[in-house]
Amino acid sequence: MERRAFPAMGTDVEILLDADPVPGVERGLGRVEPEFARLEALLSRFRPDSELARLNAAGELDAGPELLEVLGLALDARERTGGRFDPTVHDALVAAGYDRSFAELDGSAAGGPVPAGGAVRIEGMRIALDPGVRLDLGGIAKGWAVDRAVRELSTLGPCLVNAGGDLAVSGIPADGHWAVGLDTPAGPLTLGVVDGALATTGRDRRRWRAGGEERHHVIDPASGRPADTDLLTVTVAAATAVEAEVRAKALFLAGAEAAALEAEATGIPAVLVTDDGAVRLVGGLR
Amino acid sequence: MTDHVARLYAVAFALLVFFFTWAAVAAHPWGTEATATAQDPRVAALDRRAQRLELRRARVQQLLDRRFAEYRRQLRERQGQIAAIEAAPVVVATPSVSAPSVGTVSSPPVTSTRSS
Repeated sequence: MERRAFPAMGTDVEILLDADPVPGVERGLGRVEPEFARLEALLSRFRPDSELARLNAAGELDAGPELLEVLGLALDARERTGGRFDPTVHDALVAAGYDRSFAELDGSAAGGPVPAGGAVRIEGMRIALDPGVRLDLGGIAKGWAVDRAVRELSTLGPCLVNAGGDLAVSGIPADGHWAVGLDTPAGPLTLGVVDGALATTGRDRRRWRAGGEERHHVIDPASGRPADTDLLTVTVAAATAVEAEVRAKALFLAGAEAAALEAEATGIPAVLVTDDGAVRLVGGLR
Repeated sequence: MTDHVARLYAVAFALLVFFFTWAAVAAHPWGTEATATAQDPRVAALDRRAQRLELRRARVQQLLDRRFAEYRRQLRERQGQIAAIEAAPVVVATPSVSAPSVGTVSSPPVTSTRSS
C-alpha cells in the first residue's frame, strides 16, 4: 500500500494507493499534491489573489473552468437542499469571526448575523454576484478536489483520498473494503466503504470563542449564524465527496430527529452523533 | 511492261501478302477471351476472390445501413427526450442519493474521517 500525506486547503491530505511502487505509480502520486495546491490557489477565500477572492472583491469575474464547475455544484446543492447548503455564507462566516485561515484565527473580528441567499448569476464564463454577496466554497471545493484526485488515481489501482474528513475511495483493496475510522463519544466506529465517499460535518472542531460566546464554522444560511443544532457531528456516505459534504451539512442543520427521518426516507447512510453523546446509524447503515 | 518492272510488282505483292498474314496470325482471331482466361488458373482465382469480396462488401454495406438506421432512430429518440426536458417546467426535487456500499466493520481502520 503506497501512502502519501501533505497539508493543503487548511487541512491534512492523505492518499492511499493499493499498488506497487513502480515509476508510473510514483508519478501519479506525485501529481496529486501540486494539483491540490493549484486548486487551493484558485478557490481559497483566504488568498487575495485567488479567483474566488477576486470575484468576492469585484462582484463579477470571467472565471476559469474550475471555479465555474465548483460554483455550479454549490448552486445546484443550494437548490436541492432548499438553501441548507449555501455558498453565499461568506459574510456570515466572517461575522462569526472566521475571517482568516483557521490556524490564524483569534476571534477578534466577530459581528452579528448575516443571512445568506443572495443571487449569483452565471452567463457563459462570467460570474456576477448581487451587491453584498460573497462566496465561500471551502467544504465543497475540498470535496471536489478529493473527487478529482480519486478519479485521477483510480487508473493506477484501488485508492483513497482523505482531506481532513472529506474522503473518497475507488476500487476494492486487498481487504475487500476501505476501513475508515470514526471517533464517537460511544467509542471508535469503523465503516467499510467500497467505491464512494464519506464526509463529516460537525462543531466538535473548528470552533472558537468570539464576543463572549462559542462559535463554530457551520453556518445556518437562514439565520446567518453558526448553526444551533442538537447534533455534534454528522457523517454521511454518498457516491462522491461533494455529495457527501452537501448532505452532511444539510443533515447537520436539520437537527437530530429531522436528520434521522430525512436519512431514512432518502436512504442516505449516515452516523448522527448528538450533543448528549448518543450515536445513531441511519439510512440503512448497519 | 518489261520483266524488270514485273519482278518489282511481284516482290511488292509478296511483301504485302507477307505482312497481312503476319497481322492475321498476331490478331489470333480463332481464340476467345473466355477460353483464354479459363485456361489461366491465376486469373480464375482472382475472379473468385473478386466475387467473394463483392459479396462481403454487400454484407458489410447491409450491416452499416442497419446500424446507421438504428443510430438515427436512437438520435431521434434522444432529441425528443432532450426537447421534452427543455420544454418541461423546472421542478426542484431532492434526487435520490446514489450511496456507496458502506457498513460497519471490525477490521482496523486504514484512515479516519472527522469533521472538516
